[in-house]
Amino acid sequence: MALNLKGSFVLDELKNVQITIGKILEEGEEWDEPVGPTPMPGIADLRKWDHTLLERYEPFYAPMQDFCTLCTMGPCDLSSNKRGACGIDLKTAKARLVTIACSIGAAAHTAHARHMLDYVIEQFGEDTPIDLGPDVNVEAPNIRTIIGVRPRTLGDLKVALEWAEREIVKVLHSTHIGNEESLIDYESKAMHVSMCDHIGMEVADIAQIVAFNYPKAEPDTPLVDAGFGVVDRTKPVIVVVGHNVMYARPVMDYLEEQGRLDEFEITGLCCTVHDMTRYNARAKVFGPISYQLRVIRAGLPDIVISDEQCIRADLLEACSLMGIPLIATSDAAMRGLPDATDWPVEKIVSALINGEVPGVFLSDPEKIGQVAPIVAEEVFRKKDRTKLFFKSDDEFREEIAKCTQCMNCVFTCPHSLRIDQGMAHAQKTGDISKLAELEDRCIACMKCEQACPKKIKIINVIMQSNLQNLYAKTGMMRVGRGPIQDTEIRKVGQPIVFGQIPGVIAPVGCVNYPDLKDDLREIIEEFLRRKYIVVTSGCHAMDIGMLKDEEGKTLYEKYPGNFDAGGLVNVGACVADSHIAGAAIKIANIFAMRPLRGNYAEIADYALNRIGAVGFSWGPYSHKAASIATGFNRLGVPVVVGPHGTKYRRAYIGKPWKKEKWWVYDIKTGEKTYIEPAPDALLISVETKEEAIVQLAKLTIRPNDTGMGRQIKLTHYLELSKKYLGRYPDDWPIYVRSEADLPLRTKDELLKILEDEHGWKIDWEKKKILEGPIRPLDPGFNPTLVEEVFEKYSRK
Amino acid sequence: MAQVKKEEKYPIAKRFDIADVQVSREAQAVKPEVIARQIKRAKNPVLVTGGYLLKEPELVDYAVKFYEKGLKIIATGGSSKPLIERGVEPLTVSYTLHHFTQYMLDDEWQGFDGNGKYDVVLFLGFIPYYLSRMLSALKHFSKVTTISIDQFYQPHAKFSFTNLTRNKELHYRMLDEIINLIGGE
Ligand code: SF4
Ligand code: SF4
Repeated sequence: MALNLKGSFVLDELKNVQITIGKILEEGEEWDEPVGPTPMPGIADLRKWDHTLLERYEPFYAPMQDFCTLCTMGPCDLSSNKRGACGIDLKTAKARLVTIACSIGAAAHTAHARHMLDYVIEQFGEDTPIDLGPDVNVEAPNIRTIIGVRPRTLGDLKVALEWAEREIVKVLHSTHIGNEESLIDYESKAMHVSMCDHIGMEVADIAQIVAFNYPKAEPDTPLVDAGFGVVDRTKPVIVVVGHNVMYARPVMDYLEEQGRLDEFEITGLCCTVHDMTRYNARAKVFGPISYQLRVIRAGLPDIVISDEQCIRADLLEACSLMGIPLIATSDAAMRGLPDATDWPVEKIVSALINGEVPGVFLSDPEKIGQVAPIVAEEVFRKKDRTKLFFKSDDEFREEIAKCTQCMNCVFTCPHSLRIDQGMAHAQKTGDISKLAELEDRCIACMKCEQACPKKIKIINVIMQSNLQNLYAKTGMMRVGRGPIQDTEIRKVGQPIVFGQIPGVIAPVGCVNYPDLKDDLREIIEEFLRRKYIVVTSGCHAMDIGMLKDEEGKTLYEKYPGNFDAGGLVNVGACVADSHIAGAAIKIANIFAMRPLRGNYAEIADYALNRIGAVGFSWGPYSHKAASIATGFNRLGVPVVVGPHGTKYRRAYIGKPWKKEKWWVYDIKTGEKTYIEPAPDALLISVETKEEAIVQLAKLTIRPNDTGMGRQIKLTHYLELSKKYLGRYPDDWPIYVRSEADLPLRTKDELLKILEDEHGWKIDWEKKKILEGPIRPLDPGFNPTLVEEVFEKYSRK
Repeated sequence: MAQVKKEEKYPIAKRFDIADVQVSREAQAVKPEVIARQIKRAKNPVLVTGGYLLKEPELVDYAVKFYEKGLKIIATGGSSKPLIERGVEPLTVSYTLHHFTQYMLDDEWQGFDGNGKYDVVLFLGFIPYYLSRMLSALKHFSKVTTISIDQFYQPHAKFSFTNLTRNKELHYRMLDEIINLIGGE
């Protein structure tokens, strides 16, 4: 339920809520924005908004399994939507599973935020002011909108975090046997918990930007080296992996204090290294999660420091096999290691160097800072660095010779890579090029090796085959800048809402791409050239830094880092995704003056109807990706995922032919109005890059586009469809409200098609559409799906 | 083109991913003649083509042949481009397989051409895991007859080619045989 500021019954039960209310009231005195309808919403408070969305964007389920084993009454056969022993049917069971996945994702970011916030408060104090630079006044758009407070200090973030923790537990509770029976209500809960995820991300990123003095919304952050070949192998290499930089960060400080930073290579994988580069741009990026085994099996690290999320669950084994000591730092992944947190530094160092233990659990960041360089130096001194994946060419060839072409690997590889054919060709001709071709698409998941009856080190074979190219995949990543400036929003708010900037495309997330990595660059560049704004984060942001065009340039070197038409903005690690949601919220607030405070549904409704932003995850696989996407969906932002995204099992896809589903209240006329289906889906997967490009272009269309805005968006949609699909898209006429919406250059041709093929009436003298569109273009059109918003602004 | 001979031994129907397991019925791995019969019996059959047509030109050839035999084509994943270049006019080019599947699950949907829902749907040229999820949705939540004619055995279709990954020629011969049979009467 919503926090009832007048009521007292909640207080009797929950002591900590009392503190929260105190905080709100106190804030209320300092912040003159009136409190909206849903500060600190409970599960039921935004349910009406969710149901409105889900009525239009019907959930779609694609079961991975048709049985359930969650309780001891099972296993239950749920096929063809049968019910299990507890009464749940297949669709609802899938909705529950999605809710669980989103809860895991939300818990990951929120626990990350908890680790981070507790640490930075302890280190820097509760009263440390939140200062995100001179151009950021709306410092925490998600927290303002959802929680209803305006945090001024690190301590103020606690309220938001406690709320998220509480709501995640409540949603997780709902997934217990014998709770929810409506799939729509499960979806609403998935949306709720995913909104918590966005709060967790925002808390974590604000806390680290403030405490560690990261770039503060600066567009022109430094470029850092990125790729497999980035390290100077004549120096000891310290590798960080995971998502929470607080543990490994002091390594930089320690070496800097010692004046020895130049003598080491500090590098890493995934979001921890993103944040290392935000802390100190001398850190280098090895790459995303799929590079873990590439880097470790090549023997590149002299020590590995792991923290949390998206790290291989066999990291210790992989490191041990290569003689690389491991420091596990987060209690989320202690890896069975002895807890050395209370050991003296000398004891930890000697245990690791002498191989008494393969690794330690060490959660004291300052000690990690001291231990890691000493150990790395020692390991480096002893190590033979001449061999990479194989000791010799003979050993490599012998490995290939073992293959019998049984294809067990192919039938377990997530990309069905034809390892057998590569091996056979190499056996017959000595030519390893067919094996080399597999490297780019291999995510180094190791499933093939598990299946291989000959125990062939398939990953090593593939990597060795493409070693030179693997080294050459090295470029530059622009360091994550954090939030979008208020001044930038002021400049682009109107062109985005009116449509002159055709859209904001946000490629974020993991690397389970369907095909060649370079497809990501091609997709993004298509939009940059067309002056869309591209905002990226996480593994996508890293990969963009490793992909070069024919002239050897990465997109970061070709396009500026401003949040403006044709800009490529790297906000940072996954938790910086909160700034992308934040940018949408800020457009509603700064450009359109919509109040944020506890006013979520109005803001989400604004985004859905007006802001042509689309999320894009080309290779999603984590639970966090599920909650990030679902959080965006609740905020009214559609998301396109690559084909692996179908394994999340659920999508939200509208049905354009159901006219009754596509309506809004028009505040101007005071009437319910039928509209074009824009956007026509909230979550959809695509198979190829061609399809991704066209869907992204379509999903930027919004009901509120002006004539000129729609004309620009339609121009791109039509051009891209012709370029990649061979003809105009099938549904373009439904987006035409008047002749003003039509692309100028092809206007006559399109009017003719509308007349001949769709029976529209055209006045050819005036080149006007007389009859045909779902609705006419009305410059004062003021759409909303929220009854209360309609009433509020109609009254005014 | 030679026909698949009766005495020819078909490979076993090994699913494209050994872990893509469900308890409900698995696809019948069938010979081309069974598929041809299904198409001929259907009231409103359709061929859905996927992104592999952009990589394997032979699949474009086969889709064109199906089209020439009167089968309507829903082109997804960009497969429309090479088809249009070959004179095919697909029913649609810009809806994804995901859209199509969602629409197929709706009893009220009358198809892209308004002629009623498709009762027999053939799938050609898809990333196997992507198609598998859609076939799973259609298996559990609709009555449509789904037929996969890709090189991988698709366990959640109603009918599927067996695993033909070792023998592209056999795959092509089987496609040829369907095409010959549907035009045979
Ligand atoms: S490691 Fe590479 S080749 Fe092996 S199963 Fe995974 S993706 Fe396929
Ligand atoms: S599983 Fe091993 S032996 Fe079999 S084809 Fe693959 S690499 Fe060769």
